Amino acid sequence: MDSITRGGAAEALRLSDVVKVYGAAGEGEGAGAGRPVTALDGVSLALAAGTFTSVMGPSGSGKSTLLQCAAGLDRPTSGRVLVGGTELPGGGESELTRFRRSRIGFVFQHYNLVPYLTVRQNVLLPQTLAGRRRRRAGAEAVAVLERLGIAELADRRPAELSGGQQQRVAIARALATRPAVLFADEPTGALDTSSGRQVLKLLRESADAFGQTVVMVTHDPVAAAYADTVLFLADGRLVDELSSPEATEVARRMAALDSRVTAAGAAPAGPGTPVTAAARAFRTEVA
Amino acid sequence: MATGLARASVAHRRGSFVAAFLAVFLGAVILMSFASLLDTAGGDGVGKTDRNTLTIMASVVGGWGVLVVASAVATTLAVAARQRAGELALLRSLGATPGQSVRLVVGETALVALAGVVLALPFGYGGGWTLLRLLQNSGQVRDGVDFAFGASALAVGAGGTLLAALAASFGTARRAARRRAVEAHRQASAGGRHTSRFRLIAGLVLVVAGASCAVVTATSLDGSKIDSQSVAGEGAILTGIGFALLAPVLVRAVTAAAAPLLGLLGSPGTLGVLAVRQRFQRAATAVMPIVLCTAISTGTLTMQAVWNSAHPQLSADDKGTAILNYVVVGMLAVFAAVMLVNLVVAETTARRAEFAQLRLAGATPRQVLRQVTAETALMLVTGLLFGTLAAVASAVPYSLAVTGDALPSSAVGIHAAVVAGVAVLALGAALAAARRTGRTPMTTALRPAVAA
Ligand SMILES: Nc1ncnc2c1ncn2[C@@H]1O[C@H](COP(=O)(O)OP(=O)(O)OP(=O)(O)O)[C@@H](O)[C@H]1O
Ligand SMILES: [Mg+2]
Repeated sequence: MDSITRGGAAEALRLSDVVKVYGAAGEGEGAGAGRPVTALDGVSLALAAGTFTSVMGPSGSGKSTLLQCAAGLDRPTSGRVLVGGTELPGGGESELTRFRRSRIGFVFQHYNLVPYLTVRQNVLLPQTLAGRRRRRAGAEAVAVLERLGIAELADRRPAELSGGQQQRVAIARALATRPAVLFADEPTGALDTSSGRQVLKLLRESADAFGQTVVMVTHDPVAAAYADTVLFLADGRLVDELSSPEATEVARRMAALDSRVTAAGAAPAGPGTPVTAAARAFRTEVA
Repeated sequence: MATGLARASVAHRRGSFVAAFLAVFLGAVILMSFASLLDTAGGDGVGKTDRNTLTIMASVVGGWGVLVVASAVATTLAVAARQRAGELALLRSLGATPGQSVRLVVGETALVALAGVVLALPFGYGGGWTLLRLLQNSGQVRDGVDFAFGASALAVGAGGTLLAALAASFGTARRAARRRAVEAHRQASAGGRHTSRFRLIAGLVLVVAGASCAVVTATSLDGSKIDSQSVAGEGAILTGIGFALLAPVLVRAVTAAAAPLLGLLGSPGTLGVLAVRQRFQRAATAVMPIVLCTAISTGTLTMQAVWNSAHPQLSADDKGTAILNYVVVGMLAVFAAVMLVNLVVAETTARRAEFAQLRLAGATPRQVLRQVTAETALMLVTGLLFGTLAAVASAVPYSLAVTGDALPSSAVGIHAAVVAGVAVLALGAALAAARRTGRTPMTTALRPAVAA
């Protein structure tokens, strides 16, 4: 799927042959004694800097896992992840944290703001933890808040904000460190339509005006259409791709994907199982 | 629905019920031990002096024992109920009435507390028997007196502990349930800053009562009698409980004073101060057992040291009394220490999601641990400071009354040992619990709390 890289532009994210198996031997997940689940089954992709990419797929297809592995929140079982041309460090959790802090922004469906910090303190938190000089960082935080139109909320705490406002603060915090890639997992999932649209516009603008690379998981074809490209995931594999997407076309392809997966029956997903085989067949079809 | 739901809920979050269970169990053991002396006093053929000694012992020592146990059990259950605030808010928004959600929490408490009290029975029996033996060995009670364990032990020990547990969880749950459902969700994430007026007044009254014990000790007690220790000791404990109630206010003052110092620790120190400032109630929880543990151990051990230094040749009875003192302090100090570990672990474990949020924002595991250290240090400084104050306020007048000196030299060593022990317990518990939360993968911890 290397075709996504635009000619000449710098590369913001590269995944090569990333596999993630939950519950594999030696994997520290407390997923119970069940059999291993292959959540990502050899994903390769490359994204140019300044692009906005949506990731879609049926529930359980591995979208969140893909984002978490790409963002260094979790480690892939095998395969390589490069952010801004640098490979995720292999060392301890502290090293990985410092890497994330300087290069990666992450936004979840649930905003994950620290409850006892004000909006300003939340936005400044990554810089504070990195030990950066407060005054300069403070000015930048205010600038980001102003850009997102929430500067007047700077001294409130998360509990005093609406969901949409909290999500915008979370995005402000993720953007304030000027990350190489901003990842967002269903950022509009908990919001009403109009707050959701505001958040999507914000992501679109940060790509257009500031060259921010954005990768967003969503279930909503309209949201997905805000991106430059939509990637489709099924059973842990990239199976389709759509450039300059329109919501109706996105919805049509998602429906096709859903019916393929449903048609393959309720067999458990895993390498070599019927579901994966069906997905593989589908992939050759669309290719 | 309430009982079935309560049973499922207890089974689901076994960990958080261990704290409540331990508090009730240990509290009931201690109270039963002392209350059984009343049963013994009421036995056939117990002489008048023996009856008096046993009754005084049971009501004086047992009296402040009730205070210590009741406040510890109440705090533990209030913490458990507070930690459920989010879950209760969810139930409320699903249509549970305030009454139903209160019944759920109180039902759970009843289940856990009953188990604790029943298991405490044989240990309470053994404790009471041992106390009687010690009284007999020190010559305070005649050897012929038979041990009895009956109505008083059950009413005070079992009933009192159960009542304290149920009242505390009822109070906290009702406060949580009365809020509107929307408000409840917000409160759950904010965590209180407000200290009730009742708590403030009760705290002040106890501190004043403790101080007046100290005055009585210094001015009108007969220093030649070892019994005067109990008045002085009572002073330390009353003042200690008073400070424990005032803990949110005290933490606030100490935090204000220590903030610049913790700022020197870098961003984790600053974050720790911000976290404590927004949640004095939560921070005050661990201060309570720290104050009590320090006040009780330092106070009583110092007074015993005072007595020992004034009487180089201890009589057999004096020795017996000393042992009795050590046993009583030992019981309450162990109780306070277990409460300390209990509460610190419960409060720290409940912050799993918050630690994951910090990690998401770029905190390394070490930075999270440093923040926990900074916060625990604030609680320790507050608790040790006021616990020491409570101990000094009673030990110094006692020492003046007995020896004429302010304090014996051994007091410094006793104090240092107690401070070190309490600090190791608090920091060890907090850091171990925080480290354990780090074992959950961050991505799991960040999911909207299911069981937090
Ligand atoms: N911590 C875990 N332990 C075990 N299995 C997991 C874990 N997290 C995810 N899985 C499994 O991995 C697969 C992919 O999960 P993932 O969360 O990535 O799906 P998703 O595409 O984000 O789904 P949704 O759209 O419902 O959020 C699923 O089969 C899921 O059950
Ligand atoms: Mg997902």
